[in-house]
Amino acid sequence: MIEVLRAGLCDRVMDQGRPGRGALGVPVGGVADPAALAAANRLVGNDAAAAGLEITLKGPGLRFPLGGVVALTGARFAATRSSGASVVWGETLVLAAGETLNLERAEAGSRCWLALRGGLAVPLVMGSRSTFLPAGFGGYRGRALRAGDVLASSATAGAVRLLRARVPAIERDAPLRVVAGPQVGQFDDAGLLAFFAGNYRVEAASDRRGLRLGGPAVTHARAELPSQGVLPGAVQVPPDGRPIVLGWDGPVTGGYPVIAGVIAADMAKLAQLRPGDAVRFATIELERARSLATEQWEIEELT
Amino acid sequence: MENDTRAPSQSHPAWRWISDRGLRVETGDTTLTRYAALISLNLPEIEDIIPADGCLFLIFRRGAGLSENLRSALIAPLAGKPATSGTLHEIAVEYGGVAGPDLPALAERAGLDAAAYINSHAAVEYSVAFLGFQPGFPYLHGLPCALHVPRRASPRLRVAAGSVAIGGGYTGIYPASGPGGWQIIGHTTAVIFDPQREAPALLMPGDRVRFVPR
Repeated sequence: MIEVLRAGLCDRVMDQGRPGRGALGVPVGGVADPAALAAANRLVGNDAAAAGLEITLKGPGLRFPLGGVVALTGARFAATRSSGASVVWGETLVLAAGETLNLERAEAGSRCWLALRGGLAVPLVMGSRSTFLPAGFGGYRGRALRAGDVLASSATAGAVRLLRARVPAIERDAPLRVVAGPQVGQFDDAGLLAFFAGNYRVEAASDRRGLRLGGPAVTHARAELPSQGVLPGAVQVPPDGRPIVLGWDGPVTGGYPVIAGVIAADMAKLAQLRPGDAVRFATIELERARSLATEQWEIEELT
Repeated sequence: MENDTRAPSQSHPAWRWISDRGLRVETGDTTLTRYAALISLNLPEIEDIIPADGCLFLIFRRGAGLSENLRSALIAPLAGKPATSGTLHEIAVEYGGVAGPDLPALAERAGLDAAAYINSHAAVEYSVAFLGFQPGFPYLHGLPCALHVPRRASPRLRVAAGSVAIGGGYTGIYPASGPGGWQIIGHTTAVIFDPQREAPALLMPGDRVRFVPR
């Protein structure tokens, strides 16, 4: 059980999302870095598919009236425990009854994930516990957490094991790797040069639906397009020439030309971008993107 | 990796990879039939399939490729029409004013007065081509050519739920509030999407829609 003493900027219950409903216009959604939440779940003895919290930029103050076994993965936040014990990322943490965990600002990156042993017990909506804010459903009452909310967890049997995760490295300064998009031919030379050689910044009006980028305008030869299916990571360019990288809660179809697509292997890096961050793109071949191995989170016993 | 760029036909649609997890299949008039055939197979490598404008978008699980089963299903001949209900929905709409801020400019562009523009939009029986953009957002086919209009150059940051809108050659209804680039001509109080309903989307592909001015 978790009591929310103080809400963060936008704390949302997330699991691995709701695939298979794209035809209803419902995106897969779910945790922005599926491997990171899965690893946090394994550290507390949960199934990888259990629901946890996705915490963005500024975290909440949480009280555990009955104690609890938790783990944090993803970006490091300034954090304290009322017991005075240190808050270590990527390890099983055992909290005493009544202990509080206070998460402040992200020190680098944007998002972290908290798993609680037993998993967060919110109702399944369309097969998932993930919050989908654009339409206000899923998660805890379809919204971000507020002070006073109480999150239940399911009971879990078996002994608690103290574990540590070895985190795959994210090269923070490397460009985002993209493959050329299906409408790359609808941009003129100046537009292509602007995008593929330009330096962009993540704008404040960015969220899980999309990252809006400020920088050189990406000019079209032809801006209109029949609506087509799109994936998170697709870089759409509306007629104003300002690119939008679609996020996890973005639309399943789009009618703006797609100049490029962030490769699956770099979506975890996309999840850690915050407003003001610099962004560059580097193209790689489709075959190479598809051959890149999934990054591994190795879990080992703490000794 | 393989792209098949032969001309689409009912018996053998063309496909190509458009991102490392996305395969676009040109399905033309058979989009909903091919969708029904593929989704019923529950293929393990497929995370989702999204029908859109004359094509299907297949989203693969990370690292998965085009299996022999999927390849066979893509080229298998299609039998009959998809099992859609074709239900006719009548949607009451308040046109113009605060509910439809773009209507005056669109009417002028079409060379019509507001009343004639509304009549033109409401005279048609539309069909739901596909859902997208937002949960339950219907792309309605059948908009008169004179009412076709490009999306706004810069999307609005907030469009009200229930807004009746036009984007390109489609008309549609925003189920939830949020950013949107379509031109807004009216508003309905009908609940277009409710995740708690057994059928969350009011309007399903293949359904028919008629707008009734209030």
